[in-house]
Amino acid sequence: MEFNHKSEHSRRISNKLIDQSRLKQNQYTLSLLQEGQRSGFISNQKAYQIQVEMLQVLQQLLLQHTQGESSSVTTETAEGMMTSLIYAIDAYTLHFKNPEEALIQLNNKSIKEIHSKGVELLRRYVDETKQLYQEVKKLKLNVPVDAYQMTIDESLPVFMRHYDIIFEAQNTMASIDYPLAVDDMRLQGVFYIKQYLERLQMETSFCHFFSYQDIMYILINFGKINRFNYQIELFNIFELMINNAVFSLMSGGKATHVRISEIQFERLKQMLADSPADQRAKSVHESISQLQESLQTGQALTDYINLYRDTLVQRVNNAAEIGSFEKLIIREVKEHEKTMVFKVNENDRMSDIKMRNLVDRVLESNDTEEKVQLIREHVVSLHDYLDLLHAGCLFNKEYDALFASFGNVELAILAKIVFYEELRDGISDFLDMIAEGVETEKEWKIHYIAFMKQLDDTQIKAVGLLAHEINYEDISFY
Amino acid sequence: MNLSDMLHSIQLSQNSNTVMELVGLNKKTKEHGLMLTPDEAKSLVISRNKVLRDHARVEMSIGVLKELIEVFSASPYMNQEYYIDTLNELQEIFYYLRNETEDRIGDTKLIQRMNDYYNGPCAGSIELLRSKMEEFAENYRRDISFPDSIYKGDE
Repeated sequence: MEFNHKSEHSRRISNKLIDQSRLKQNQYTLSLLQEGQRSGFISNQKAYQIQVEMLQVLQQLLLQHTQGESSSVTTETAEGMMTSLIYAIDAYTLHFKNPEEALIQLNNKSIKEIHSKGVELLRRYVDETKQLYQEVKKLKLNVPVDAYQMTIDESLPVFMRHYDIIFEAQNTMASIDYPLAVDDMRLQGVFYIKQYLERLQMETSFCHFFSYQDIMYILINFGKINRFNYQIELFNIFELMINNAVFSLMSGGKATHVRISEIQFERLKQMLADSPADQRAKSVHESISQLQESLQTGQALTDYINLYRDTLVQRVNNAAEIGSFEKLIIREVKEHEKTMVFKVNENDRMSDIKMRNLVDRVLESNDTEEKVQLIREHVVSLHDYLDLLHAGCLFNKEYDALFASFGNVELAILAKIVFYEELRDGISDFLDMIAEGVETEKEWKIHYIAFMKQLDDTQIKAVGLLAHEINYEDISFY
Repeated sequence: MNLSDMLHSIQLSQNSNTVMELVGLNKKTKEHGLMLTPDEAKSLVISRNKVLRDHARVEMSIGVLKELIEVFSASPYMNQEYYIDTLNELQEIFYYLRNETEDRIGDTKLIQRMNDYYNGPCAGSIELLRSKMEEFAENYRRDISFPDSIYKGDE
């Protein structure tokens, strides 16, 4: 069916016969053209002409890319440029409220014009994204979560610096580590980064409803509960805060009160374990609504939280099924009474020059005992110990001699580093961990495992117990 | 409507126009006694498309083929009998070189270099030209890896 008369065309289009479920977010225009052809809004001839015009624009881009020097490019380059071209066209067609309007544009405007309008829009989005980034930087939480800090300080600026609107608009450029609570990975290029920043901004604003002390309280206890160093793990801060805020409301507390008491925890456990799944879902939904109201979360944040609802319901149901809420509801992990004082301090770090001197002196010495003595006399902080071990200034038996001079506490601290993943997962016991060892290329770790294997089981167990008691917060080694 | 199909259709959709463009070059080449029939021009375009596919390249115009015809038709070694075969060989060598030199040398310079060798040391031998160009590509790639080599500044 062909429509030559423009008003007739628009009238039919206004009847909204386009089946939106057939449209794809990625390669929107191509799916729109297919759907337009299927429903008769675009003639086959017009669809063909659009493709030819796309190729003409591609030809121009190609010449621009090779600066007129070459008339051919590799298929890979051409496909990348074509994807970039279609990405810009998508930017234009997607900015119309409905697909019918976009189809009218495709019918009436040249692809060259649509492409250049798309590029203009992309430029605007990039500017908005840069603006948004500045706002996120200002809002940034001062928490020692590496993925969060590095994503904002290092990864996102890579996008700002290298994003290529013309030839690689579909390329997101930056590798983003920090996970969002709700992320749409189907998006690419500036659309992805813009959405990522919008969501990161909302998540961060949400976290600002809570005091810094409360955020740190949640993070530290989250690390302790999971027996890992939360600073280097990949997790979402917003989720931890909203979960506990919701649990607080469910157990009679306030939305801003994220510190869950033992009594609240027991109440929640009983309430959730005893209810059927639909009842649990209902309670979670009610508390989330209550949270949105009491914190007056604003439209955008309210909508975003709504996207997270089902995830939380799912998690609560999973926890109820396995009968354990310990990892979902964060509460204070009581400290064991410290029976020892660490002999390696995280403070008192040596200056770089002093460290270099020490490494030189250790290297120069031919006497193992003297080497160990030099190290024991001069090194007090864990950081320096690690620097020294990484410097490779010890050889074979010298490692053994140094480790032999260590007490169980020091050995346990090194075990926390060597067996980080195994201790976090908590599946095998320490004796087995030592027996099995870990795959590593670090020389000192290989020697450490070999040294530990020589010890008798009683001492290994003692070191294991200590390793279990030591928290990563107490041994900041980065 | 898939992307690589669309790109592939570039070569096919332009066939009729391109054949006429190539035949139009006869005006220039006839002074050297070289002529293309429409069928021969068509076979050149088909070979070109195959060579492009074999070398995983996309070209939006037939600029290279036209330039090869214009430049090489002036060679004293080119004759009507082997005209089509030679042009096909030249296309093959050109796109091989294009990939091997990682798109760092422009079309015109690359064709000029081929022509210099063809008319010079190769004395019209395509086999020799092929081996000389392989040698050239090898040296060029070495030059890319070790920028201080003697070829520095050649481009």
